[in-house]
Amino acid sequence: MAETNTQELTFTSSDGKNMKVPRDVAERSLLIKNMLEDLGEATEAIPIPNVTENVLTKVLEWCTHHRNDPPTTGDEDDSRRKTTDIEEWDQKFMQVDQEMLFEIILAANYLDIKPLLDIGCKTVANMIKGKSPEEIRKTFNIQNDFTPEEEDQIRRENEWAEE
Amino acid sequence: MDDSAELESFRRQWREEVESRAKQNLPEKSLATPSRTVASQSRKFPPTRHEASAWKEEEEEEVAPAHAPMELVPALDGLSLAKQDDEDAFHLRAPLKEPKSALEHFERAVEKEAAGNLGDSLHHYRKAYRLDAAVDKEYRNKHFAGAWKRPPQTTSSDEPTKPAADEKPAIVPTPELIASFSHLPIPPAEPLFEGDPTPPCPIANVPSEVIVEILKCVALTDPAAFGRMALVCKRFAYHFSHEQQIWKRLCQGAKFGFKAMHYSFACDIHGHAEHTLAPVARFTPFPTDMPVQIPSPLSSWSEVFHTFPRIRFTGIYISTVNYTRAGAASAYSNISWNSPIHIVTYYRYLRFYPDGTVIYLLTTVEPADVVPHINKSNVTAARAPSRKQHSRNTSDLGSSVTGPQDPVPPIALDALKRAQWGRWRLSKPASPSGPPEEPEYSIPGKDNSTAAHDPRDLVVETEGVGAPKYVYVLHLGLRSTTVRPTHGSQMVPNPSRNTKLVWKGYWSYDKLTDDWAEFGLKNDRAFVFRRVRGWGMI
Repeated sequence: MAETNTQELTFTSSDGKNMKVPRDVAERSLLIKNMLEDLGEATEAIPIPNVTENVLTKVLEWCTHHRNDPPTTGDEDDSRRKTTDIEEWDQKFMQVDQEMLFEIILAANYLDIKPLLDIGCKTVANMIKGKSPEEIRKTFNIQNDFTPEEEDQIRRENEWAEE
Repeated sequence: MDDSAELESFRRQWREEVESRAKQNLPEKSLATPSRTVASQSRKFPPTRHEASAWKEEEEEEVAPAHAPMELVPALDGLSLAKQDDEDAFHLRAPLKEPKSALEHFERAVEKEAAGNLGDSLHHYRKAYRLDAAVDKEYRNKHFAGAWKRPPQTTSSDEPTKPAADEKPAIVPTPELIASFSHLPIPPAEPLFEGDPTPPCPIANVPSEVIVEILKCVALTDPAAFGRMALVCKRFAYHFSHEQQIWKRLCQGAKFGFKAMHYSFACDIHGHAEHTLAPVARFTPFPTDMPVQIPSPLSSWSEVFHTFPRIRFTGIYISTVNYTRAGAASAYSNISWNSPIHIVTYYRYLRFYPDGTVIYLLTTVEPADVVPHINKSNVTAARAPSRKQHSRNTSDLGSSVTGPQDPVPPIALDALKRAQWGRWRLSKPASPSGPPEEPEYSIPGKDNSTAAHDPRDLVVETEGVGAPKYVYVLHLGLRSTTVRPTHGSQMVPNPSRNTKLVWKGYWSYDKLTDDWAEFGLKNDRAFVFRRVRGWGMI
């Protein structure tokens, strides 16, 4: 795809796999973009130490689909956050198991891909809404670390929360 | 009320019931038997009746949230009265199983009482006390035990005579307690069966900044869900109370925050947008395009969100009015004792919209029957002169989350015919800049100039009933639910803020003659907010 003028970069995943990435796709990651701006040309493979191959593949799939999106500006909020819904392609993209979901989120955070991080967080938020605390714990395999007294105390503190 | 009279009426009622039972085989047959365990242990107490006769207390009309039974949720399980995890009180009425034990009757009675249904309430109270004279104790132990001692998640089968030995440990003040959670990990769940591999808990590996991002998404989707996150584990509880940027964002947001508050009318009473020649920028207390400050007495954005006057769009405000009227004996046939008192219950509903409109409805139809259907398209449909049979009403934003919408039941549609359109605005918070707001009307008997400016004031104007020349003006005030500490517990629950609307005045204005007439507010009760599933969540 897009074989016009794109320069190719090489990424090395944490498990040592190399993959070729068009530069404009790679620049969805602000981390990479800033690095390239500092370095000028990158001729060697760029190590991505925190991300395994399968996650990196997934992340790059997202970047490829969104390669032509307008670049995100530094001032977050509003335009992006106004809509809590996720566009359809992204929804499908995020239909992965929970471990992969959080891997993607971590990778997006590390690579500084704000929109992807955002979609990941929204996906998690959607898994949370409408659930009771106990159901949330079940969903994410979290253990209840409150003593009953503490739980009671927190509950009282937040009593107003039936918004 | 003396005991002998009451005893007499008990006897009479019992006799009637036995007779009717003999004739028709009612499903409640096993009424008395399963509750023996409950009833046997406390015969030594005289038949108390404090709660049963407590509708005098109802004057106080304060429903403390800790007590507040979700009015319409039948006792699904032991927790449904004390806990409000539920987002919604109106869609869950299906499992209305008949109460059997004394405690179940008592619970039902409390629910009915809270819903304003005093007749049924009394009926259940009586049954409960007949089955077990000490049922009120039982009830308190079950539902408010947490307030003074701590039987973990008591269920109805628990012995109420818990050894009072489990003393509470020294209580750390909540802010300090929460602060101590700051660096705790999210604890992964242990395997269901010992020896199994630990279930994966990928969220435990997520760094704080990402957790905060997730929480922010949750908060902006639904602040109530954010609140529930605080109860999941300590780490979330910490972020919940310390992440001021989330609270600030919530305050500035248009969905739940103050951006959606109107401080001047946004439309006319029929909901048509007002066009002015010189459009004035809408006032908003916390604009996003300039630095904002936390208003002075408050110290954090979470406080602002809780306490700053705010109208909620995620549910309905209900004012339940009961009044009694003497009637001829035995005229009220569906109450089984011979009460010569008629209890009349009616409701006022207010549903606010972020666009500045409001739907006002005065009806005798109970909340469960009508509330889920109060929305703009249904009101439009119901009020249309030639009513098309249940036109597809999917256009209303708040109404349909659950797929294709059910047709509106006739009872609701009937009630909605009398719904009134209106508009609302809050009174502008005092600010150094900007002119003081000028009153639209000069209401007789209410001196606008000297009346203390109260930012909690809310003005609602609706159409008049019958003739278009009338405008009804409601002056309401946002209030918080006051909470009395329960039974010697020193921890006072946080009141839920701004969930009540008290009456400050109600007038009818004749546009043609410029006449004001005041409506009496003798029976009028405050509106109380109830969340409704799906509303305001798109």
